[in-house]
Parts: sequence; structure tokens; C-alpha cells
Amino acid sequence: MSLNDLTSLTPQALAEYTTSVEQPVRLRETAAAQDILRYGAGVGSVIQLYPCLDRAMQQARLHISSSEKNGTSVADGTVILATSLNASKGRFDRVWHAPPGGLWGCLILADTFLPAFRHFLSFIPGIACCEALIQEGAVSAEIRWVNDVLAAGKKQAGFLIEGFRSPMHGEDYHLLGFGINVNNNSFPAELQESAGSLAGELGRSVNLHTFALSFLAKLRWYVGLLVFEEREWLARGGGEAYEDEHPLLRRWKELADTLGKDVVFGYDVLSSPQYQARAVELACDGALVLRHADGTTSTEHSGEIRYVENSHIA
Amino acid sequence: MSDEIDFDEILGKYHSDPYEYVDIFAEHTGKVRFLTEEGSTVEAVSGEWKHIPGTPLLEITRERNPKQITSPTNGVIASVNSNLEGSFVEAGEKLMTIRHPLKKKEIIECILKEVLYVFPAPERAKYFFSLDIQSRIDKKSAKEVSVKPGDDIIIMSLMKRDTPVYYDGEAGVIHSVYFKPGVSVQQGAPLIGVCPVEKVPLIKKVITRVKADWDKNEVSTV
Repeated sequence: MSLNDLTSLTPQALAEYTTSVEQPVRLRETAAAQDILRYGAGVGSVIQLYPCLDRAMQQARLHISSSEKNGTSVADGTVILATSLNASKGRFDRVWHAPPGGLWGCLILADTFLPAFRHFLSFIPGIACCEALIQEGAVSAEIRWVNDVLAAGKKQAGFLIEGFRSPMHGEDYHLLGFGINVNNNSFPAELQESAGSLAGELGRSVNLHTFALSFLAKLRWYVGLLVFEEREWLARGGGEAYEDEHPLLRRWKELADTLGKDVVFGYDVLSSPQYQARAVELACDGALVLRHADGTTSTEHSGEIRYVENSHIA
Repeated sequence: MSDEIDFDEILGKYHSDPYEYVDIFAEHTGKVRFLTEEGSTVEAVSGEWKHIPGTPLLEITRERNPKQITSPTNGVIASVNSNLEGSFVEAGEKLMTIRHPLKKKEIIECILKEVLYVFPAPERAKYFFSLDIQSRIDKKSAKEVSVKPGDDIIIMSLMKRDTPVYYDGEAGVIHSVYFKPGVSVQQGAPLIGVCPVEKVPLIKKVITRVKADWDKNEVSTV
């Protein structure tokens, strides 16, 4: 079997991996691990693997629409994977190169989350990916707000989360697109400076099947944790807003290197950078608090950052 | 929306009282401490990135977590519900009112908001037009772009999660755009104002009349 072969990546294989590898680790973290994994068990309960797609997100939309047309329902947590993508793109139509060797796909999640908890969805893929990279040996992997995953300053993975309303029944879904550079180690000229891969970081190829299991099992865990924490919060009495520190944010802080860094912020930071400031805090809803040179702060709920070297922001 | 507007009545109202009264409500439950008093002048949020907060108005404390509420607009404190000082209040309780002096442009917008269908922001987030709507706006202008219920007209961007926002008001053309791409919009704040095609002449009449009347008034008071 080739190192890049995903043909044996089945829901059964994922369930076995989760029980034998992920669950024992999580049980050391919390006694509620089995509960949490049960809540996340939908993730990867259906896996569709394609040799090649234009875009996995587009395939997810087609899958939802055609399921409705055929009178069938879409399994919450369906994962669509492709060996390569022909027309992949990042946010703002940025170039994303997706040849064989990477992990390219989309997770379909029905929008059953409480409004106060939807914010935290964006943190899940970055945390899951960063943990999977570290588990494979890329110990320098870190997260940049919100969910960029970098190793040695190079972007290893990108994620897109888009909403989709089904055309017939008006069901809302979150489509969580993921692209992780695993064994693909060559990039187009415009990405060579900024992009890196796990194989490049480790100096060796890795088993893509095992990496995919690890990443999907961690997605299971964190999606489960999101739902579990909703339950716990409601049991504590709920309220007008969730103002505790969510366990996802606690984990994000352990894995991210953003806080304390001087950054340039922008909604589309590459084409329209707005200002430089220091990232000082993560608000309880996941927003990034940025301190300007004059001591005032901005709290940003949307947008992106790039780190600034040799900055002199006080 | 009525076909006939009593311009004299509307304009008379704004001439006699050219202010907007902005009520400040408790964002959540908590104990209130006022930081300003009736008659005080307050400033709005400012700075290139809207990062300099407005004048502190009050502090609301819940579970030993104090939150300072600052002025969203400039003006004068018209009234303070001072009997609530030090009390525990429920979310949504009115705490004070700011009297904000209106400029001509704001008066036009205020009148238009009464006659347009105003589509509000579902969450505090950044908003931008969907690709289809944006390309139609680029080719013509927003005022020539028509929308109908069910159209995904706007993308809401929050924590790098992009969600289509479906229009659910009456069909018409996009007359007013109240958001700027990349700038945060508070939940409930207006995103766009839509006008049924047949009412567009009426809207134009409103704008022309207000401008002419206001300019005439400003000249006569110089």
C-alpha cells in the first residue's frame, strides 16, 4: 500500500482508531472522555473518498442537494475526501495547491449548535490539525489566530468554514473545508515562501492513512467537546451569554503562539492590511484583543493577522 | 409604506426637535453604577479603527465581572434612570437616554428608515455582499440591484466562518447600504434598506424635499 493511499479509510477504521488510540489518551484528560467521544461520533460516520474533485466544499453542497432530491437525509458528520483537488482555493479566492499527498476534504455538520457556541467551531480544525501534526512529530506546530497552522513559520494547513442552506428543506449546515499539506512537498512559486508540509518539516514521508485517522479522531473529540460543553452549560443554568472560558479556547491557548506577538490585522490582511498592534488577549467568545501603540484596544471578531518581526509596539 | 407622505409634518418634527434619542439598555443582568449624569456631554467611539472608546456611561457588574459601557454616539445625556444606581437590573432595562444632534444626512437617513424595509444584522459580525450581488452592484449601482425574499444577499463573516444571510423582507431595490465591508456591525444594526421598485420615485422626492428644505432653513438662519 502506498503511503498516500486512503482507500482503506473507512468509518470502521476510524471507529477502531478512536477506541484504541484516541480514547485512552483522552481518558487521561477527563473522566467524561467517553461521553464526549459519543457526542462527536457522527464525525466520519460516513466517509466518501474521491480520486479527484474540483472542490470538496462544492461536492458537499451537491451531496446535500442531491440527498434532498432523492428523499434521503445527510448524515451529520459526513466526511468528503479527495486524493487531489483541481480547483481548490482559500479565502478571498487565494491560491491553494492540492496535489496527491495532502489531506483534502470537507466535513459536513448540521447546524444544531446553540448560537453562543457557534463561534467556537472555527477553533476546532486548527486545534485538531495542530495536535495531529505534533503527534506525528512536528513539535514546532503552532496555531495563529484563528485557525492557521504553522510550523517553522510556514503554513501547513488552511481551513474554510462556510454556511449552506439546503435548497429544498432549508436545513442549515456548516461545511468545514480542510487542506493539510502532508506528503506534498512542492509548491507553486507564489506559495514557496509561505507554505510548508509535514513531510518537509520532518524530513520524511508519513503514512497519510494514519495521519487522516488521527486528524479525524481529533475532530471527533473537539466537535464532541463543543456539544458536551453546551450540555454542561445548560445544566449549570445556561444564561444570556456564555462567559466561561471554553475548554476549546483553553486548549487553543496552549497550542497557539499568537498572544504577545505584534501583528498586522486586516479583514483580508494580504490585500488590505489595516493596522499594527499587539495581540494581548483572547476574549471569552474567541475574539482577539489587540492593543494599539497608544494603549487603546480593538476587539476583533473577524479578520486575520500576520506576525510582524522587529516591531516596536509598546 | 404609504404612497403619500406629509412632508410638512415630518420636516416640522425634525425642525422643532433635530435630535435622535438613543436609549441605553442593560446588556445583561447585573448591578449598575452610573459614570455620567444628566446634562453631561458625551463623545462617540472614534479613531481610524474605531478603537478609541466613547465616553464611559456606566458600569454593570455580574459575578464580580465589571463591564464598562461607553457611549455609542455623541450628544448630551438627556435622562438617567438614577433610581437604579447600585441596583441589580435585568437585561434590556432602559438605563439612560442620549440626545444626539442630527446632521442633514442623518435626518434623511432617519426619514428613509421609516419608509424603507430595513434589514438588520443577525449577529455582531463583519458583512459583505455575496459575490452575485457584489458583481451586480459593480456593474450598475446598489440602487439598481433588486432583491427578493430567499435571496442570499450578504455573507456574514465571524471568526473566519462565512455564513450566507438570506433576505426575508419585501422585494425591491437596495436603496441604502449601512455597512462597510470589513467593519464590524452590531447585532440588530441595519445592514441595508430596501425599497419596492414602485416606491423609488417617492423616496427620491423625500430626499430632494429634505435637502431643499434643510438648505433653505440653514441659509435663512445664517
